[in-house]
Amino acid sequence: MQLARLGSRPKRPENLLPVRHRKVGDAILLTTQFGDWVFVSDAELAELMAGKLEPGSSLEARLREKKFLLDSLDAGALADRVRRKKSFLRHGPNLHVLVVTLRCNATCVYCHASRAPMDRVDTDMSRDTAEKCVDLALRSTAPRITIEFQGGEPLANFPVVQHAIEYALTKNRAYGKELEFTMVSNLSLLDDERLDYLVKHKVQICTSIDGPAALHDKQRVLAGGSAFSQAARWIRAINQRYVDLGLDPTLYHVEALITVTRAALDQPRQIVDTYLELGCRALFLRPLDPFGFASETGHKIEYERRSYLDFYREAVDYMLEKNAAGSEILERYASIFLTKILTDDDPNFLDIRSPCGAGIGQLAYNYDGSVFTCDEGRMLHEMGDDLFLLGRAGEAKYRELMTHDTVRAMLAASNLDAQPDCVSCTYAAYCGICPVHNYETQGSLHGRMRESDWCRVHKGIQDYLFEKLARGEGSVVETLKRWTTARERTHFLQQCASS
Amino acid sequence: MTEAQPVGETVIELDESLYPKDAIYGAAYVFIDRCYVHLDRPAPGRVSVRLRPKANVTVASADLAGELENELLGQAWRRLLVDENRRLVETVTTQALAGAAGPPGLDELLEMDLDAEAFDDPLGIAISWEEKYKKRPPKPEGE
Repeated sequence: MQLARLGSRPKRPENLLPVRHRKVGDAILLTTQFGDWVFVSDAELAELMAGKLEPGSSLEARLREKKFLLDSLDAGALADRVRRKKSFLRHGPNLHVLVVTLRCNATCVYCHASRAPMDRVDTDMSRDTAEKCVDLALRSTAPRITIEFQGGEPLANFPVVQHAIEYALTKNRAYGKELEFTMVSNLSLLDDERLDYLVKHKVQICTSIDGPAALHDKQRVLAGGSAFSQAARWIRAINQRYVDLGLDPTLYHVEALITVTRAALDQPRQIVDTYLELGCRALFLRPLDPFGFASETGHKIEYERRSYLDFYREAVDYMLEKNAAGSEILERYASIFLTKILTDDDPNFLDIRSPCGAGIGQLAYNYDGSVFTCDEGRMLHEMGDDLFLLGRAGEAKYRELMTHDTVRAMLAASNLDAQPDCVSCTYAAYCGICPVHNYETQGSLHGRMRESDWCRVHKGIQDYLFEKLARGEGSVVETLKRWTTARERTHFLQQCASS
Repeated sequence: MTEAQPVGETVIELDESLYPKDAIYGAAYVFIDRCYVHLDRPAPGRVSVRLRPKANVTVASADLAGELENELLGQAWRRLLVDENRRLVETVTTQALAGAAGPPGLDELLEMDLDAEAFDDPLGIAISWEEKYKKRPPKPEGE
């Protein structure tokens, strides 16, 4: 637009850092590669593109304050900031996903995990394999690791979950790592005895809530009952346990995830209300992934990402209204991007960083001990493609896995400095790509971002957030800033002295 | 650029000065799960890519051609970016791999074959500076 008006290649004022620009609502957003940002008007952008920057002007003052001018940069402070934002590069995988069984008693229309029927006990992880997986996880150079139990339904193989926890606690005496356990479950196989164990061992519990009961039960079919009722009953019971322990319910509660299907798109407000009623303070509005059953049922549950973004805007608008009225609830995508946009920290969300966390940020261990770059890579294995298989626990050495050709390829493919479109994107400093998603949807690890749903969703969400920041309504900006405040859940850290 | 072909087939002819050969290989390879792919050189400096859809593929040939063209652009541009940003990309990659892998553990050092024969050193590279340039003993008097 501006280029056409100027009729020639734009010149940049000598003192101005290289910038990228994007129209966001009525404003023009400028960003630098370091993640600094500022809004300018059309006229101001035209002035900059003509190579002009009036000394003493309000534009110059704003650009100076926002660190867009070379003579306003403190190289040392900038280096510290970049180092802090990229601190995830200094350590190995902190997330270790143990798929303790593929068996599951629920049938979900989009199941990404490729579940197996309940009689397929051959898909249970053995105690011996669990030990080998934990041994490998503890070899990570990360000072803090999370072991996440997944399935299938992990409660279907609960004795191995228990064994892995106790084995990890014992072995970690020699490593002295900060250790956390999480479990992703539909909760239907939970009972008081199991809950006692999980609470006693400080295992964070996550579940899925796809929206109001009718929607949830339609998408997550549980033999012999309502999946929603089961999940809701246990969410309340678990949250009450935290209250009984004297823990702050705004910080300690069951984390719930939604997978947004076509049927959910016209229920944004009802979904937010459902989460609030259940005491869930965070909602992660994840669109469908192209893995597992979703690759087969897509014709019934998929949708245009434009519709998803409309849904997202309405849901988050409503969450902002609720926050203004005193009900605290945040949206996870927004929280991740806003932390990158508004602070000097990076939340180290493995799918939204450059390079991505495949291998170097997470490892996924299948029930048989096979190790993958990430859970998405394991999902593709269940669909018959072993491209992301790195080795086998008990056989592969930790350093061999970290320097595996596939890990290197994932690193190269997800580095935005070598990615067409991303390299010149206004949102490059805040974004990330998933090579497994690229591979599944576009045939190569690199993908083509301009044609990618992944990119469409990320750009759309960031457009929305910057529009809110541009409008600058006090209570909205205050809420968005609050969403960047990550309070540590220290209760879930295992007390483990190094020997 | 796209020629008319028998139904379902697509042939795209490319100028090698615009599309480097490795970008053409990379882009063509993306299609091998859906098509049989044949590369040819119809004239000097020209490369043709023929996509023949497999039996179960129902995608229109125009869509396949369009996807190949977009993939070619992406691969060619990526190649330039990697050249331009090589230092930055390599620094990040090295840091990430070193940070994740960490130093070798004791078990890996113990597995190293310390009894192996010393390597041949015909140029004397492994000779220490002190040994190589040590002071010669004074010549005996009278020589």
